[in-house]
Amino acid sequence: MKTLLIVPSFAALCFLATAAHAGELTVTITDIRAAQGSLMLSLVDSDAAWNSQAKPVAARKVAAEKGEMQFKFSDLPAGVYAVQVMHDENDNSKLDTNFLGIPSEGYGFSNNPNVMRRATFDEARFELKSDAAITIRLR
Amino acid sequence: MRRRSFMQGLLVAAATGATPGLLRAETRSLTGPEAFAAGLAREPWLVGWKSVGVETLGPTEATIEGRWPSSLTGALYRNGPAWFERAGLRYQHWFDGDGMLQAWRFRDGRVSHTGRMVNTLKFAHEARAGRFEIHAAGTNIPNALPFRNNDDMNTANTAVVKLGDRVFALWEAGSAYEVDPDTLATRGPTTWRSDLVAAPFSAHPLQETDGSAWNFGSLDFFAATGVLIWRIGADGTLARTAVLESHEPGYLHSFAMTRKYLVFVFTPYRMGEGGAFFERMRFAPDLPCRIALVPKDALDAPRWFEAPFAAVYHFADAYEHGGEVVVQAAWHTDVDEARSPMMAAMRGERGSEKGGTELVSLRLDLARNTARWERHGISSFEFPTFDARTPGDEPALLFAPTSVAPASAPYFNAIASIDTRANRTRVHRYGADVMAEEHRFVPRPGSSTPGDGWLVGTLLDFKRGRSGVAVLDAKHVDRGPVATAWVPYTVPLGFHGWFAG
Repeated sequence: MKTLLIVPSFAALCFLATAAHAGELTVTITDIRAAQGSLMLSLVDSDAAWNSQAKPVAARKVAAEKGEMQFKFSDLPAGVYAVQVMHDENDNSKLDTNFLGIPSEGYGFSNNPNVMRRATFDEARFELKSDAAITIRLR
Repeated sequence: MRRRSFMQGLLVAAATGATPGLLRAETRSLTGPEAFAAGLAREPWLVGWKSVGVETLGPTEATIEGRWPSSLTGALYRNGPAWFERAGLRYQHWFDGDGMLQAWRFRDGRVSHTGRMVNTLKFAHEARAGRFEIHAAGTNIPNALPFRNNDDMNTANTAVVKLGDRVFALWEAGSAYEVDPDTLATRGPTTWRSDLVAAPFSAHPLQETDGSAWNFGSLDFFAATGVLIWRIGADGTLARTAVLESHEPGYLHSFAMTRKYLVFVFTPYRMGEGGAFFERMRFAPDLPCRIALVPKDALDAPRWFEAPFAAVYHFADAYEHGGEVVVQAAWHTDVDEARSPMMAAMRGERGSEKGGTELVSLRLDLARNTARWERHGISSFEFPTFDARTPGDEPALLFAPTSVAPASAPYFNAIASIDTRANRTRVHRYGADVMAEEHRFVPRPGSSTPGDGWLVGTLLDFKRGRSGVAVLDAKHVDRGPVATAWVPYTVPLGFHGWFAG
């Protein structure tokens, strides 16, 4: 298992200057099926950011390893967050689907909501008050 | 094709259940492994629905009764649901079990048997987890994991086919799983083309005499309607696909073809709330079947017909005669039984046996554009097969397991040949304590006369605790097997096989 330190974006760092400090978020991604391509992970703090209408708190792309990978987000202000992750196995920067629109690459969301569609922000949101760790099962 | 996007809703088949946890727990206690084991102690025939519990069987040299034809060389591949239980949970629907492939190999008058679980994504995951974690087609799994797509629930448990040199274990709502023809080791789900990952490839491809094949995949499993038509070359690679659009929901498990046409019969249904696909699905007898007659040389020009409702899993041969296209089929007379065949057996119980099948012919009048079902007065059979060399303008002689009293089990115990033109049926009853499965027609080497060949079909003798394969002269089914080969263990009853010479 590989641990990666993810530094929040510049915008988030500016925000940190005035926000209440919460701590570190550790995100463990499990069930990565193949050591090929990249994991693309996005940490957001709003419904707008979840739907790509605002910038994420952090967005990272790292080479995928089979099994589990761990990400750490430090110095996050207290608040509501959500994480989505996809396994871009062929590095074409999108979640591939078949002709019916059904995903052929891995994906997952915080809270692991049991829905057979893209989760909503409300389904994936969680509150960060202090240091916390979550696990996302890549499906 | 009606289609909703992935964002709106994926996989009708796998919708998560709204069943309260308490109800699920109660149901589980009534239908679990303990209840089945108690039933098996009372009713030994239930061994046909016992979870296999081991990942491989054999290789085993079979004991032969009679004289196995030395010129009958090749393999009878078989597939069926075999793994029904994990961690105190037993599937409630026969179609749910993980698939086990078997090969009965015939060489120099000897017979051997091997069996191997198809190592699907689902089976491999749940074997590691030690419990069922993925929703099945007919059983809602408590606390099931979300999954990527339909291939995560693919059990590859329904049929097996050899196309070119490639052997595939087939389901109906996902990819064909390729296996090694000799070892039966799983090679993985087949991606015929990059945009067809996990696309449905039904369990009932139909082969042309040149070795090429047609198949379909129902889009109804994906919040859409219609079918994807597959054309596979004689070398076992994809030649082309086409989408046949439909505008109403329609279930279909198999299809039929004449020399010129593909025939798709869409059986109407409605979906209820909550539960697995076969828990929610209800056939709709108040609605007509819609039938698409698709020219093989013009897949985008279907002709549509309507016929009264009928629930059919298996269509047999189809032919063209007197301005009609005619399809022979096994009509299920009880729609609830059709939705979950042998449901009581899965619980470890003897069912009410209220349902049954009748042989029917669907007749499409091309001039009048009308369709009707003709009943033949022949009942209690399933899994019809025929000699594909039958001329295209006459009904084929059908071969099908049937039930003849006395029988200890509420299942087939005999094999019949059915000639609807001559209105003649020949039957061999294997015995009160033997259950009979699908029998495949094998042309006699060097023969070109339709009907000249053998039937090879599998048996389960629950009184003696053995499974076997019988070979019969297809012209004289009523004389019984020429020979039968047995192994000293039983294998769960399955669905479909394929003979590869």
